[in-house]
Amino acid sequence: MRQGLLRRLLRATALLVALPALAGPPSGEYQIKAAYLLNFARYVEWPAGRLPAGAPLRICLLGRDPFGGALEGLEGRQVQGREVRVRQADSLEQAADCHLVFISGSEERRMGLILRGLSERAVLTVSDIDGFVEAGGGIGLVIEEQRVRFDINQGPLMRDNLRASSQLLRLGRQVLGAERGGR
Amino acid sequence: MNRVKAGFLASVVLGCSAAQGGEAPLVDLTLEELARLDVATVSRKAQKLSDTPAAVTVVSSEEIRRSGARSIPEALREVPGVTVSQIGSGRWAVGVRGTDGRFSNRLLVQIDGRSVYSPLFSGVFWESLDILLEDVERIEVIRGAGASLWGANAVNGVINIVTRKATSTRGGLVSASIDDKGRPTMAARQGFDLGDAGAGRIYVKGSELSRSRSADDREDSDSNRGWSAGFRLDGAGSGEDAWSVLGNAYRRNSAEHILSSSVAGFQGLYPINFEFEGSSLQGRRNWGWLGGEASLQAYVDHQFANVGSYGRGTVDTIDVDFQHRLTPEGAHELMWGLGARYLRTEIIAASSTLNVDPARRHSRVLSAFVQDEITLVPKTWKLTLGGRFEYSSLTRFEPQPTARLMWTPSIDDSLWTSWSRAARTPSIGESDATIVYGFVAAPPRAPFPAVATLSSPGADWNRRAERLDAFELGYRRNLGSASLEAVAFYNDYRRLIGTRTDPNGLSFPGMPIPIPPYYAPSQTLFRGNFSAARSHGLELGLDLPLTSSLRLQGSYTVMDTRAKSSSDAALEAYGRTLETASPHHWGSLRAMVNAGRGHEFDLILRRTGAIGAAGVPAYTTVDLHYGWRVGPLFDLSLGIQNLLDPLHLEYVSNFFPGQPAYQPRRGYLQGVWRY
Repeated sequence: MRQGLLRRLLRATALLVALPALAGPPSGEYQIKAAYLLNFARYVEWPAGRLPAGAPLRICLLGRDPFGGALEGLEGRQVQGREVRVRQADSLEQAADCHLVFISGSEERRMGLILRGLSERAVLTVSDIDGFVEAGGGIGLVIEEQRVRFDINQGPLMRDNLRASSQLLRLGRQVLGAERGGR
Repeated sequence: MNRVKAGFLASVVLGCSAAQGGEAPLVDLTLEELARLDVATVSRKAQKLSDTPAAVTVVSSEEIRRSGARSIPEALREVPGVTVSQIGSGRWAVGVRGTDGRFSNRLLVQIDGRSVYSPLFSGVFWESLDILLEDVERIEVIRGAGASLWGANAVNGVINIVTRKATSTRGGLVSASIDDKGRPTMAARQGFDLGDAGAGRIYVKGSELSRSRSADDREDSDSNRGWSAGFRLDGAGSGEDAWSVLGNAYRRNSAEHILSSSVAGFQGLYPINFEFEGSSLQGRRNWGWLGGEASLQAYVDHQFANVGSYGRGTVDTIDVDFQHRLTPEGAHELMWGLGARYLRTEIIAASSTLNVDPARRHSRVLSAFVQDEITLVPKTWKLTLGGRFEYSSLTRFEPQPTARLMWTPSIDDSLWTSWSRAARTPSIGESDATIVYGFVAAPPRAPFPAVATLSSPGADWNRRAERLDAFELGYRRNLGSASLEAVAFYNDYRRLIGTRTDPNGLSFPGMPIPIPPYYAPSQTLFRGNFSAARSHGLELGLDLPLTSSLRLQGSYTVMDTRAKSSSDAALEAYGRTLETASPHHWGSLRAMVNAGRGHEFDLILRRTGAIGAAGVPAYTTVDLHYGWRVGPLFDLSLGIQNLLDPLHLEYVSNFFPGQPAYQPRRGYLQGVWRY
């Protein structure tokens, strides 16, 4: 009996301690999104000419940084036997040099312009802007029932000779342009 | 066992703290594991807005659904700076930074880029916007003068209703709801694939809206029923080229009572029936052009309104709009556009109380705009200069410039200030109509029983647009996933269209009346750009996600309007009405609770100050909404509106002197089935 009470007390205390941690900023949303970026780099294959063996893989951010430091946490990590470099792209030309570009919500109004500027440059575009994949983006991060999921548009990936692994396609909430790619 | 549990809890706690820190262990998780993680708190769109030097609020589809809103105006109730008052069944007074009643004529409302602003009365027939709320992606509310980008009549604000692309509504949906009096709303939508070309959807909706009550709660004071249907096609669009085609049609019937005073001094309620009909067809294309992005949009729109035996009005619109956003060149980001609109309006007055001359009008509006976003210091200082140059055959050349300066000292703070000038074109009604307001008893011993009051355009009125100079100072801050916003505004209105008493006094013989001596002399009030006013206010907004299961949102607005005083009684009365047409303060507090297992509760508390001009006392209301995701395909919701009082008044129509329509406590039940 007494042990039960103690256990309950302990659990209540632990929850009380945990609560402010949950409530306090920053939220986990962008930590999760940053982790997704690393996974996308893991499951997408760039053409050898664009990303030679052993060369570092550049993940860039276009627009204002919503990650609150989480993106810097990817710096120096290994994917596919290469080192990840993270940097902020100040212009579209700089972004076109990167392998994976995250387009921040601040760029919503310029989304069409950016996607056009990065097309046929073998850049994997990722964003959490609404309607990103429908507008021709590569991978769109969406929140569904408090969880971060992603949609993939095969169209721009195939156009740029980026190969998404079957595992990535299987886990996508929605895969667009798949039939067209098959033909 | 005990130790294991405690250890597990400790690891949860530590894990959480670690996740808060810079070094995130999350990075090592696989895709499957990431997809299973619950997000502690989801930040709203505020972060995306941190780059916009204007007071913008985005109401998401989730917020619309959870508020229990059953119409567009209800979805806007919690937006700072916006007043939403129900006039009656399907009739609303919506204002941004001040209102003028049923036709808040300084506000532009668009659905997917198509203006639903009626040039007849300079306002929006909210009852005709019967769209499927489940297909609305978001509603953007831009407070303040948005004229440089949106054009005339975007004086106090712009409301953009954006529906989902057909490519993201591929399934079917059936929605049915019923209120506590048994009045139903039914809607169905079906999405379909167009193969490689894209996707489409069609919808149909029919409703009989909840009615209002008379002051003594003995009878219904109005009714409103109708249907709408529409479609949307979207190209599969891989960025380079996107297209959409949209169309809709609707028909609504509404009945209300007008308060009328007869010549003999008798006041009575007369029933009046409205019929509204409309249809539109719209096409849009976006494509890459000269290294930038271009869009071309065109629509035709037909609206018809029949006002009982009083008359009817028709508006036909053809609108073409072109925009081009250029690739950034150095520090400059340029955008420009051209627009043309042709309007054919016809008002057939069938009673002696209304006369419109000319009955038919053909008007043309040509406009051009240019905007340059200049980065003064990268990531810190940005200056936006823009201007719209508009020629309207109704008024004259109206330049509408804007200058906005934004400072973003950190990624979480933005501070902006702006000056904009905007114009509101006189409506066809204001410009051409002669309206008999009513009769007032004649002084004793006069040889006639009553005097008719009528309003007509001044004979030598050189019609000008109303002009606003708007100043704004705003601050937005993100605190993790929470955000707050404070915006102060100062508006200086000139050339407001008011009425002045005819200096020649009574005119004879005047209006025919059914009792001897069969004529009543009339007193004319002439309309013209006579008045001026100033308003200032402060808008506060807060979004605070406390935990994954509780989120609080609050908004508060305080504002004050001062009109130019006049020695002319009619103009003075116009000014006093303008000053008291909006409450001085209003606010709301909303709690959104996720109870888990698909259960959610929303509680909205609202307080609105008194509206002097409409004779409405201050009121406090509480709305409750409970939603239950029964399965992945079925949602059930239950709501109670006006929980606190059995009956309250929100507004009294000033379009017609209508019978005050009281809003009772209401309940409703809704089921939405997706397949």
